[in-house]
Amino acid sequence: MNCELAQEWIVTAAYGELADEQIHELERHISGCAKCQEEREQALALKALADAHPVAEPTPNLMARARLRLDEALDTLPPKHWYERLGEHILNNLASLQAAPAAALLLVIAGAGAGVVGGYEFAQGRAAHEAVAQAATSQARASSATALPELANVAGISEIVRRPDSEIVDVSYNQLVPRQIEGSLGDPAIRQLLMLASADASSPRVRNDSVSLLAAECRAGHSCQPSGIRDALMAALRYDKSAKVREKALEGLEPYVAQDVRVRDSVLEALLNDSDPAIRTEAINLLEPVEADTSVRQVLYSVSNSDDSPQIRNVSRQVLSRMPEIQ
Amino acid sequence: MGGASRQGKDDAVRNRERVQSRAHEAELIREAQAGSRAAFDALVRQYEHQVLRLALHLTGSEHDAEDIYQDAFLKAYRYIGNFRFECSFYTWIYRIVTNLCLDQLRRRKTRREDRAVVVDRAGDEIDVLASISDNRSFSDPARELDRKLLGEKIQEALEKLTPRERMVFELKHYQGLRLRTIGEMLNTTEETAKNTLFRATKKLRAQLAGLR
Repeated sequence: MNCELAQEWIVTAAYGELADEQIHELERHISGCAKCQEEREQALALKALADAHPVAEPTPNLMARARLRLDEALDTLPPKHWYERLGEHILNNLASLQAAPAAALLLVIAGAGAGVVGGYEFAQGRAAHEAVAQAATSQARASSATALPELANVAGISEIVRRPDSEIVDVSYNQLVPRQIEGSLGDPAIRQLLMLASADASSPRVRNDSVSLLAAECRAGHSCQPSGIRDALMAALRYDKSAKVREKALEGLEPYVAQDVRVRDSVLEALLNDSDPAIRTEAINLLEPVEADTSVRQVLYSVSNSDDSPQIRNVSRQVLSRMPEIQ
Repeated sequence: MGGASRQGKDDAVRNRERVQSRAHEAELIREAQAGSRAAFDALVRQYEHQVLRLALHLTGSEHDAEDIYQDAFLKAYRYIGNFRFECSFYTWIYRIVTNLCLDQLRRRKTRREDRAVVVDRAGDEIDVLASISDNRSFSDPARELDRKLLGEKIQEALEKLTPRERMVFELKHYQGLRLRTIGEMLNTTEETAKNTLFRATKKLRAQLAGLR
């Protein structure tokens, strides 16, 4: 053992972190090395000296004040939207599956097997009952005095009840009534509809239009509150399938990256997880001014090593090299 | 023999208590993830004292410590849905706190703030040494002054460490955490934490050489 290693082990031992066999080896070295004996005394003396700067316990007043302030802040936070909770649930389950590929594979095989068996049974049963069902249905149609309503814009089925000993089935459903509203972008009703459209619209064009309008409002600084439009843009950035929509959302969030930690975190998440390299590149550009944040550095460091795109790896390295030394 | 069996029983009781405590915490976390504010408040109460203690000792300011406390638990509330039980909740919450403390230390280095004493919310100095009980009936004013000055020197030396070195030294020396845990909290390895501790102690010895 050389003195350089011994000096490292001395510090580790002083803090009770050296393995037993290493302690034994260290003691043997120190017993024959005056310099390292001195080092050990110095290390122990430093430990004692550092205790001259004791750790103050928080006073009850400080605890109470901090707790009260936290309670007030939590009380003003809006509850999480259903899509946020669903998204977290899905991501957590995906992460569990990623961490257990064997389990994931078994699930897929079991699911496929169940599908094949179930499909066969279903087909068999269906063929056997078809003739009987046809006769019963014709009879039901002939005897039914109620005309079928026009089945347009069905929003959802709320209940299905089969009448006993009969082929008659009662189905309760909800129907959408198309409406239209006009108003300015500052109108709360219009804003609310735009936010709903950004999350719920089945058409990518509608989602793109709504996110574009909301993003423009944020960039113009028009009442882009943390709970509301900003939330909607962050959700679009995280969940929307269309890269165009996600890009618009990112543009809308740009003014808030520095001041709002939640926005910053969602941009970091986009940098790590977005499938579109253009969005990941744009995320890096948005994060560059926020150099004091440790999370930003950590993510850039990770991306510079592991991103699929060589260009993005390069850009992140360049940004990191412009930041003060990572410690 | 009786002693060994009693020791074994004590260990079994402790293990059972530990498992029950972890199960209770896991239940609280799941409830908080489902949106229960009461469950989240219970989690805060379990860790708030340590969080504030760490932030106060690192920053030396009640105001800054309160801010870190606030930011840490708000962040925890926002992201608790992402907690996947891959590490302990203790490590997870401390990871948030240490990142916030590191950001604070970096900002201070950038602004070259010099805070050699602890200050309360009104900006008045708190004599930390006076709050430590002294078993001796009669305190020596000269000695108290020496201790106070020594404490200030230690704090100055600590502020000359890099934020990461300061954090590792704080967590190891003052908070008593294991290097492996420190590595997890700082998203690095135990070996790196060990090397950082070594560098920190070397620097402190160089800074405080004249005092020993």
